[in-house]
Amino acid sequence: MSAEATVRSEHPTREAARVFMRSPAAVGGLLLLAAILAVALAGPFVLNVDPFDITAAPLTPPWTGDALLGTDQQGRDVLIGLVYGGRATLAVGATAALISILIGIAIGALAGYFGGTIDEMLMRVTEFFQVLPALLFAMVLVTLLSPSLPTVALSIGAVSWTATARLTRAEFLKIKQLDFVAAEHVIGAGRNRIIWKVILPNALPPLIVSATLAIGTAILFEASLSFLGLGDPNRMSWGLMIGSGRSYMLSCWWGVTFPGLMIFLSVLAISLIGDGLNDALNPKLRERR
Amino acid sequence: MKRWLIVSALAAASCAMTGAAAKDAKRGGTLVMGQSVATSTFNNAVASGTGVMVPGAQIFASPLMHDDKWNPEPYLAERWEVAKDNLSVTLHLRKDAVFHDGKPITSEDVAFSIITIRDNHPFNTMLKPVDTVDTPDPHTAVIRLKHPHPAILYAMGPPLMPILPKHVYGDGRPIKTHPSNTKDVVGSGPFKLAEFKPGDQLVLERFDKFFIKGRPLLDRIIIKTYPDSQTSLLELEAGRLHMQPFFNRVLEIERAKSNPQLAITSGGYQAIGGINWLLFNNKKKPFDDIRVRQAITHAIDREFIAKALHKGLSKVATGPIHSSFPQYSPDVTRYKFDLKKAEALLDAAGLTKGADGVRLKITCDYYPGDEDGQKRIAEYMKPALKKIGIEVEVRAPADFASWAKRMAQKDFDISMDAAFAWGDPVIGVHRTYLSTNIRPLVFTNNAQYVNPRVDELLAAAEREPDADKRKVLYAEFQKVVTADVPLSWVTELPYHTIYSRRVRNVPVTIWGTASPMLDVALAD
Repeated sequence: MSAEATVRSEHPTREAARVFMRSPAAVGGLLLLAAILAVALAGPFVLNVDPFDITAAPLTPPWTGDALLGTDQQGRDVLIGLVYGGRATLAVGATAALISILIGIAIGALAGYFGGTIDEMLMRVTEFFQVLPALLFAMVLVTLLSPSLPTVALSIGAVSWTATARLTRAEFLKIKQLDFVAAEHVIGAGRNRIIWKVILPNALPPLIVSATLAIGTAILFEASLSFLGLGDPNRMSWGLMIGSGRSYMLSCWWGVTFPGLMIFLSVLAISLIGDGLNDALNPKLRERR
Repeated sequence: MKRWLIVSALAAASCAMTGAAAKDAKRGGTLVMGQSVATSTFNNAVASGTGVMVPGAQIFASPLMHDDKWNPEPYLAERWEVAKDNLSVTLHLRKDAVFHDGKPITSEDVAFSIITIRDNHPFNTMLKPVDTVDTPDPHTAVIRLKHPHPAILYAMGPPLMPILPKHVYGDGRPIKTHPSNTKDVVGSGPFKLAEFKPGDQLVLERFDKFFIKGRPLLDRIIIKTYPDSQTSLLELEAGRLHMQPFFNRVLEIERAKSNPQLAITSGGYQAIGGINWLLFNNKKKPFDDIRVRQAITHAIDREFIAKALHKGLSKVATGPIHSSFPQYSPDVTRYKFDLKKAEALLDAAGLTKGADGVRLKITCDYYPGDEDGQKRIAEYMKPALKKIGIEVEVRAPADFASWAKRMAQKDFDISMDAAFAWGDPVIGVHRTYLSTNIRPLVFTNNAQYVNPRVDELLAAAEREPDADKRKVLYAEFQKVVTADVPLSWVTELPYHTIYSRRVRNVPVTIWGTASPMLDVALAD
């Protein structure tokens, strides 16, 4: 049974990849993200400097001195900051998205599968988190835990899982009524197997899209928190650059514009990929093409 | 006789100066002023901070005022005498002075106020030696001191000694939470409180029965709270705000400089005497070793901080006393920016470099709320100390309370910190260096510095009535402390007043806007 499922699932994957690759926007997003990732991962090894080093007079404008994109209010090179900051920002984005997806899937799957009282309870908890202003809640968490990269990631993950939970629950409600699930029941499969091995893989396509978009949201969250001064001051990140440059915006536009641009490009790339995946993984949309 | 001559000469000089500067200083007009900290009380007898002292000095009159050269001048006291034995000060009050409710200001009120301040003000050294205040007649108050206390001539100034109406505040209710601290305030000064919206703005109106005839010139002062300096600068540029004192954001000051409508001055902060420094936890290894403290001090490029980070708007601090103070001495141990020497000192202290080039990993805290004077310098420590093999982790405080708790519990390696001196070293400088002031509280001797000689010198200076002899004591204090380097002084804080060119007679006495704005006026 499961061997057959594996064989069948290979085909749609390949098909999805083909649909994805046919979309110029999706491929563009993929290339953009690959470029950003390459710079963020390899850049620090090539440059091998400390992004916190003071390299020139503070507030040197771009294209006037040695620092190509100028220096910030402390005299730190903005370009070096961008190269090093990418790692932290993308890492926080990915970790936070992972945390939020894991919480969301766990809660959504249990609520959708069991229904009844468990569903009621879990959905009330989800609603409780949904009505809390997410950014404010994340700020409180970061303040309580003291700002550092792990706590920022954890806080973002902890406040942004509700949409995933709702989506997972809806998928589970739908899929659990299908015949192949009933067949699993008949052959006496355990709950664990049905939830995680049978229903979840079939609910994955929309969740993958949602997870991709969650990374983008998490990056924006990290930037917002840093903008409000709740970033980790010891790890260079794009959010930190914006946050510390914020109060110098009137006299030093380059301190916030370039990291802002990087965040914009990353989130754009991720959104394009998410869109492409949505088209590729959604059978209804696929037929329309 | 001699003193009288000096006083009147000064009065004449200040009149002449005012006359020249204020040809078009006419009566009337509403001055809109900005402040960065919100006012929570108007009773500066029981609270400190610029949000209290600036409005407090407008609402309440004090016995004395001071000019821009540290000379005491008559205010509510038209004359005063310090006894030969320096154990009492006699104030002769003006006979025509009344409170905002029309009741006369008497020596009873002065006595009540002085004792209230002695017992409740956060600066507890300010009036500590005051034993009693005698009131031989309604217009004479004699302050009896347990020992000579020269600082009292400054403690009687506008931000520090408001004269409160005894018939309002002496009703037995606890003074720190007295309802009249924020509502229906009955003051003694040139302006009365007309409106107060906490956290937003307060409106002061001219008190027509004020005891100095023809003053104040302004009809009204509106003080608005702008926690964000960029907003207040935009308001200044738009002409909606006329003046913002205690401005310490260097880039905004720079921007204001290039605006033809605006002017800036660093005058008016002499008595404030703000210095920032890097605090060492002297009780914690390795900062208990003087060589480590010296090394770190040698690794801080103060010129870079003052010239580049502060755009030349601050001055390098050389020691514990601000250079605008009469007690300042330049003859101190100075620590040149010298990385080689710093590394040699660390080697000698046994802190050798590991394979990764790191000798030591430490944390650096900072007092939140002064970005240029604190946060940016704390962040500067990271690259600066890396050069001598010290890895710094900046611990961003979530808020003032969490930083204050770390300081109180001595849970830190190094921390940026600052303090104002408020007119006399006894009031604002001693607290940081006296071994008797090591307390679980913020803004005390949190370096946990102990030097019996320093305790001795400060105790002697506190009581020394002769200004020159006092200076000698403070000179030695500065020499000893800078040699011990319990903390590393960085800069004198870059406080400026940004004002519209329409404002006449911007306050530039030693207390600046924390003194009554009698001559301030608005031109058309």
